[in-house]
Amino acid sequence: MEELLKINRRNFIRTGGIASAAVALSINSLDAFANGRLQKLTILHTNDVHSRIEPFPMDGSRNQGLGGSARRAALIKKIRAEQDNVLLLDAGDIFQGTPYFNKFGGELEIKLMSQMGYDATTLGNHDFDNGVEGFYKQLPHANFPVLIANYDLSNTQLSKSTQPFKIFKKAGLKIGVFGLGIELKGLVDPKNYGETQYLNPIVKANETASILKNGYKCDLVICLSHLGYRYRDNAVSDQVLAKNTRNIDLIIGGHTHSFMDVPEDVKNLDNKITTINQVGFAGINLGRIDYYFEAYKDKKMKFGTPYLINNKLDS
Amino acid sequence: MQHTKRLLLYTISIALLSACSSKYALVKSNREEYNINNSLAVDSTIIKTYLPYKAELDKEMNQVIGYTDVTLSKSSNLPESVLGNFFADAVLNQAKRIDPNIDFAIPTTNGGIRNDIAKGEITVSKVFELMPFENETVIFTLKGSDVLDVLKFIASSGGQPVAGVKMKIDNKLPKDIFIGDKAFDVNKNYVVLTSDYIASGGDGTTGFSKPIAKKVLGLKVRDALLQEIKQLNANGKRVNTTLDGRIAKN
Repeated sequence: MEELLKINRRNFIRTGGIASAAVALSINSLDAFANGRLQKLTILHTNDVHSRIEPFPMDGSRNQGLGGSARRAALIKKIRAEQDNVLLLDAGDIFQGTPYFNKFGGELEIKLMSQMGYDATTLGNHDFDNGVEGFYKQLPHANFPVLIANYDLSNTQLSKSTQPFKIFKKAGLKIGVFGLGIELKGLVDPKNYGETQYLNPIVKANETASILKNGYKCDLVICLSHLGYRYRDNAVSDQVLAKNTRNIDLIIGGHTHSFMDVPEDVKNLDNKITTINQVGFAGINLGRIDYYFEAYKDKKMKFGTPYLINNKLDS
Repeated sequence: MQHTKRLLLYTISIALLSACSSKYALVKSNREEYNINNSLAVDSTIIKTYLPYKAELDKEMNQVIGYTDVTLSKSSNLPESVLGNFFADAVLNQAKRIDPNIDFAIPTTNGGIRNDIAKGEITVSKVFELMPFENETVIFTLKGSDVLDVLKFIASSGGQPVAGVKMKIDNKLPKDIFIGDKAFDVNKNYVVLTSDYIASGGDGTTGFSKPIAKKVLGLKVRDALLQEIKQLNANGKRVNTTLDGRIAKN
């Protein structure tokens, strides 16, 4: 996969050209934040948490001692205390994997996500494990929306429970977030997904992302995807999605439980960057992506992609 | 119809919104990943929320029902795994107590095995994590040609958890097949144990769509595993599954 402009900060001014150099200077200036010319947005994300309420038990298994909702919540609180503009997102498969789900049906998982202040999630295949009704039953415990653009749920109990996208406003920035789900046939027992209709994710992604970027003029478009990171065959994955779409800045992925060393930056149909990230499963990791935006006067600057990418935070 | 309405709604909203368009350009992105481990503080309000649930669950789940002398892992190299062998043997053994005519079993796929069990004590909880799904065991009487389809799926997917069958995978196809201790005969019917999930084509399985007969045993796959471990323990035995070459790669 083609890597786009992954350079460290020291090299940036040299390779970035004059326009970027000007930007780089203002990024480093506190004045730019103070006068509102620079805005920072922090995205925090999880996927496939799979009912992992407590850390993995200390039993010698591979992931022993890792994860845990109480630690994740404390970390999220700490980051929220440090950052003004935070979005906390999840890419589905909240349910299934520990006896908490078998015994309580997902009620606790959803309650804890609400308590942690999740801003949105999408539907994973395992979220159907107690049927459409099983998911519907837990929704009263959710204070965040379920975003899904490529399932037609109109003939199911969830017909009024999901939405294709939501636009979040943070410090003058507009962030469009939408969700995509995997084909359920062959993956989920038909009696569990019932009348749910799967729609082509590439088509729905292009349609939805265009509405968000070009229609609503979102500054950033994020896709919560439960399609899976990549496959050996040609099945639709986040890599396939990124290459075949426009207007998506970030795909927060799930399903394949992929641990990625760093997020992957893919060239999309417009030759722009679509970043894919996924953080394993079971809440072992919390992903973070900070975006910096600069107010522009000269209209040309708007098209100044690619932007600077660092695989670490500013110290 | 509904979509057309929605699209119209979008168009109207877009027209209204485009007046206050964005004035920001994305200039930089920094990334970080946090490992959630014991170096982090805990949020006690979260613990307070889950504690009552945990207490109720622990009563049931922390019972030790048996022991394993080996780590039951599915991460060993396919075509077979220690955990896959244990899983398939256990379910076949328990199902045969209900119907002794079963010839062989594919009670799960590798994808259906959700967690390893470390060497030592086995609790109810560990079996739930290994097999969280509520799948039922089902037996199918299949024509030899449909059995071959099942075996082809097993071979083409690089091996799946099985019991009562021995075969080689040659160029993604099954070869030198034995059902029990007899060579496979495509002209014979066989009784195959599986789960309702696999039988409906889960994880891409094939061969179960045209059964001669079908019977739900009334035994959940997870309950079969729990029973097997409890029975071993009652007889003073521990789990000690090994790789035995039931599926080999040429």
